[in-house]
Amino acid sequence: MPATIKTTHPPLEVQPVFTGDSAPLLRAPEKIQSIFAVTTAAACLPLMAGWLFFGYHAVIVSVVSVVSCVGLEWLYYRVTHSPALFGRAHAYLTGVLLALTLPPFTPWYVVALAAAFAILVGKAVFGGVGHFLWQPALVGRFAAAVILPALAQLAPVGETGKTVTLTPAQWPLLARDHLLLGDLDNVAQDRMYSYLGWSDRTAPPGAEGFALPHPADTLGPLTRGEEPAYSALAYPRTDAPNREPAVLTVLPPVGDFLFGARPGGVGETCAALILLAGLYLVYRNYVKWQLPFAFLASAALLAAVAPVRLAGPNQTIEWTWFPLFTEGLDVGFTYVCYQVLSGAMLLAAFFLATEMTSSPVTTGGQVIFGVGGGLIAMGLQLYFDTAIPAYLAVLAMNTLTPGIDALWLPRVFGQKHFAWLRRR
Amino acid sequence: MTRRYGIFTGGIDIPDEKQATLDEPIAPAWEAEVLRVPLAPCGGQAAEPVVEPGQDVQAGQRLAEAGPGGVDIFAPLAGTVRAVAPVTTAVGRQLLRMPAVELVDLSGPREIPTGPETFDWSSAQPEELRRRLDESQLTTLRRRPQPLGRWVRRAAKAGCEVLVVNAMESQPYVTADHRLLVEYGEEVMRGLAILARAIGAKRCVLAVDRRRTGDYDHLLAPAEHFEVEHVALPHKYPIGSDPILLKVLTRREVPCGGGPLDIGAAVIEPAGCLAAYFWVARKVRLNGRVVTISGEHVTRPANLFVPFGVDARSLLHSARPPYIMGGPMIGTLCEGDAVIGPATNVLLAIDPTPTGSPSQCIRCGWCRDHCPTRLNVAVLNDLYELARVESAELLGVLSCMECGVCSYVCPARLPLTRRMGELKHAIRRLRPGPAARDESLAHPHPETT
Ligand code: SF4
Ligand code: SF4
Repeated sequence: MPATIKTTHPPLEVQPVFTGDSAPLLRAPEKIQSIFAVTTAAACLPLMAGWLFFGYHAVIVSVVSVVSCVGLEWLYYRVTHSPALFGRAHAYLTGVLLALTLPPFTPWYVVALAAAFAILVGKAVFGGVGHFLWQPALVGRFAAAVILPALAQLAPVGETGKTVTLTPAQWPLLARDHLLLGDLDNVAQDRMYSYLGWSDRTAPPGAEGFALPHPADTLGPLTRGEEPAYSALAYPRTDAPNREPAVLTVLPPVGDFLFGARPGGVGETCAALILLAGLYLVYRNYVKWQLPFAFLASAALLAAVAPVRLAGPNQTIEWTWFPLFTEGLDVGFTYVCYQVLSGAMLLAAFFLATEMTSSPVTTGGQVIFGVGGGLIAMGLQLYFDTAIPAYLAVLAMNTLTPGIDALWLPRVFGQKHFAWLRRR
Repeated sequence: MTRRYGIFTGGIDIPDEKQATLDEPIAPAWEAEVLRVPLAPCGGQAAEPVVEPGQDVQAGQRLAEAGPGGVDIFAPLAGTVRAVAPVTTAVGRQLLRMPAVELVDLSGPREIPTGPETFDWSSAQPEELRRRLDESQLTTLRRRPQPLGRWVRRAAKAGCEVLVVNAMESQPYVTADHRLLVEYGEEVMRGLAILARAIGAKRCVLAVDRRRTGDYDHLLAPAEHFEVEHVALPHKYPIGSDPILLKVLTRREVPCGGGPLDIGAAVIEPAGCLAAYFWVARKVRLNGRVVTISGEHVTRPANLFVPFGVDARSLLHSARPPYIMGGPMIGTLCEGDAVIGPATNVLLAIDPTPTGSPSQCIRCGWCRDHCPTRLNVAVLNDLYELARVESAELLGVLSCMECGVCSYVCPARLPLTRRMGELKHAIRRLRPGPAARDESLAHPHPETT
C-alpha cells in the first residue's frame, strides 16, 4: 500500500543552501599554465645563447629534447588513459630544461633516452605534475651522465695532428663566427695550458671550431692537488720567473665566463642571461630569491673557506684552509668566482633547484634547501671528480624536501612556539 | 600622540574598485515594494511569527518572537502581512534558507530617522545601558550577527579592556561603513561611547583606512571628547579581519580557535555603534542597514539605507543574477530572491572569476606566503584530501580566519578556503563539550570587513 504523501508547506526551518562556487569569488589571474609558459620562455634565453656559442648541434639537442619530452608525455597519457594535467605545458618546460643541462654534442639517441627517463621515471611514475620527488629534467640529466661515459668507453679515441676525434666525454666545443656545421671529427683541440679564453682566437684553417678544456677540468685538479705544476692558487711557490696568478693563467678571462663563451652544457655557460632570466622569474614571483641566493652564497662561502690541496714547495702537497685569504684577497676572490661560475651552479640555482614541486613550500625551508644544495654542490666540485656536481646536489636536496617540509613549521598565528611538538 | 603601528605579514593587494560608490551619499531604498523580513538573522532557530496574514502592521511593530539565542523581529516599514514564506539570506559564510514575514503595500518614511536625544546615556549606569541594549532586540551587523545585548554582556563578563570599531573595509567594493562615518560619524562615536560604557572598556579605538583620513576630519573633535583613539592603518587585505586588526593594534594574538574576547578585546562595526546609539539615546530602532550596491553590471552604484527584507533583485534590477552578497572575498553567491539581512553590507553584480575544475597543487607555496596566519595551506590541503583531521588541528588550522586569500592566489584554483573551513568544522564536531551544541558561541567566528 503506497504511503500517503502529505502536502507540506515550504520548509520553514533554517537550513543552508548550496551555492556552487564558494568564497572568494575573485581569483588572481595567475594560472599554473602561465607559470610553466613564462618559466619556459625565460629558460629559452640561456638556451639561445647556447645555440649561438655551440652551433647547430645545440639546436639539435634542444629540438630532440623538447620533441621527445612532449611526444613521450602525449604517448604516456594516450597509453594509460589518464587525464593529462595542465596540458603539455610542463613537458615543454622539462624538455627545455633538459636541453639546457646537456652537453651540446650529445648524440640524439642519448638525448631521447634522457628525455624518456625525465618523463617516465622522473614524472609519470610519481603521478605527474605536483607529485614528483626529483626535478624531472635532472633525472634525465642524471641518466645521461651515466650513459655518456659509458659511450665514451666504447668509442675509439683517435688523435691525428691538430684534429681529434671527439668523444662525448670530451665536453668542450665552441664555434666561432659560424654555425658548427659538418663533421665534428674535424675540430681543432687546444692545448690545456695555453687555454686563455676563446674571444681573441681565430680558428685554424679547415677547423670547424674549438675544442677547449672544460674549466672544471682545470679547476678540479688544482684543488685536489693532482697537478703539482700549478703549485698554488696564485704564485708558484718555487721562485720561478712566472709570477702570474695561476687561476688567471689557466682559465679563460672573466668576460668569457660572464657571456658564456666557455665550454659547458648548452645553457649552463651564459651567466649574464641566466641571471637576467632568473631575476625576471623572481620579479614574477615564480622564484623566491631566497633559494638561489642561499644556494650561490653558501657555495661561494664553502669555496672561500674549505681546505684545498695545494702543492707546496719541494713537490709536497698540503691542505690549505681559507683559499680566499691565503694568497691575497684579489686572487682569492677571482678563485671563488671561478669556482662558482665554472660549472652549472647558476643554472641549477635559478632554474632547477627552484622547481616548485620538488622544493620546500615555506621560504625558510627553501633557504635550508638552498644552503644544503650549495654546500653539497661545491663540496662535490672541490673534492670529487663528477661531471654534474650541482645537479647531483639538487637531486640530493630534492630527496630531503619532504623531510624539510615536515620539520620546518613556522609558528602559526595564535599558536605557541613549537605547538606542533606539544601534544594536547 | 602618535603611536606607530606595524603591519602583518602575508596578505594581498587586491584591486580596490571602491571609486564608484566612495562619494555616493546614503540614499533611501525607494524601489522596494515587498519586504520579506527574515526571522533568523543570526542563524540558529527562527523566531515565531506573531502576526496573521492579512493583518496591517505599523513600522516598528513586533512581527515575531525570538527563539532561543535569537532576537525579536520588528516591521521595518508599515504594511500588510501577506504570508510567512521562505527566503534566503547570507549569514556567516553560508547562504541560509529561513522563514520570513512577507509585507506588502508598504508605506512610511524610508530614510534614516532623525530626532533628539531622549535619554542621558553619559551618566547612566553600565547595567542600565546593558538592560536597554538587551531590550533593543538589535543584532550586531557583522558577517555573522549576534544579538547586540548578548554580545555586550559577554564582552562585559570577559572583562574587555579594548573596544575596537573595525571600519577598515578591506574588501573591494565595500563603502557602506565609510559613508556611515562620513555622514553619521558623530552618532557612531556616541554609539561607541555607549557601548564602551556598557562593556566597561577602558580604551576605545576607531580603526580606519589610511587613504580615507581626509574624509574623517570632522571626527577628530568628537573622538577627543569621547576619548576615542583614531587610528589609520594602511590598506592591505585582510587588515579588516578581527584577529589581524587586533594583532596590529594591541600586539596580542587571538589564540588558535578562540575569539577576540579571549584577549580582552571586543570588535564592533560602525553600523552596530550607530544602531546602539539610535536605540539607547533616541529610542529609535534601526530596522535596516546601509548597503553598498556596486559591481560592473550595476547601472547606478549607490550606498542605500535598506530596510531588512528587501530582495536583491529590486535593488539590482538591471543586472542578471547570480549576485554576490557580503563582498567578493568572503561573501556568497545568491539569486535574485535573496534578501538583505543584518549581515549584508554589500550587494554586488559582478562576474565571479571562472575557476573551472580545481587541478593539482604544484606546491608553489603562494598560499602559505600570503596567508595572514602563516598556515601551511598546501600541507593542510594534503591533509584534507587524506581526511586527517587530527594532524590538521596540530598544525593549527583553527587559526584560519577564512579570509579567502589562499584561494585567491592559488594558481591551481583549489577551493582552499572552503576546505580549511570544512577542516575546522570537522574538528569542532569531533570535539566533545558545548561546541557541538552552539558552535557560534563556543567558537566565535572570525570576522572580516
Ligand atoms: S597556492 Fe595552490 S598550488 Fe600553490 S602551494 Fe598552495 S595549494 Fe598548492
Ligand atoms: S582562508 Fe585561512 S588558510 Fe586561507 S589565507 Fe585566510 S587564514 Fe590563511
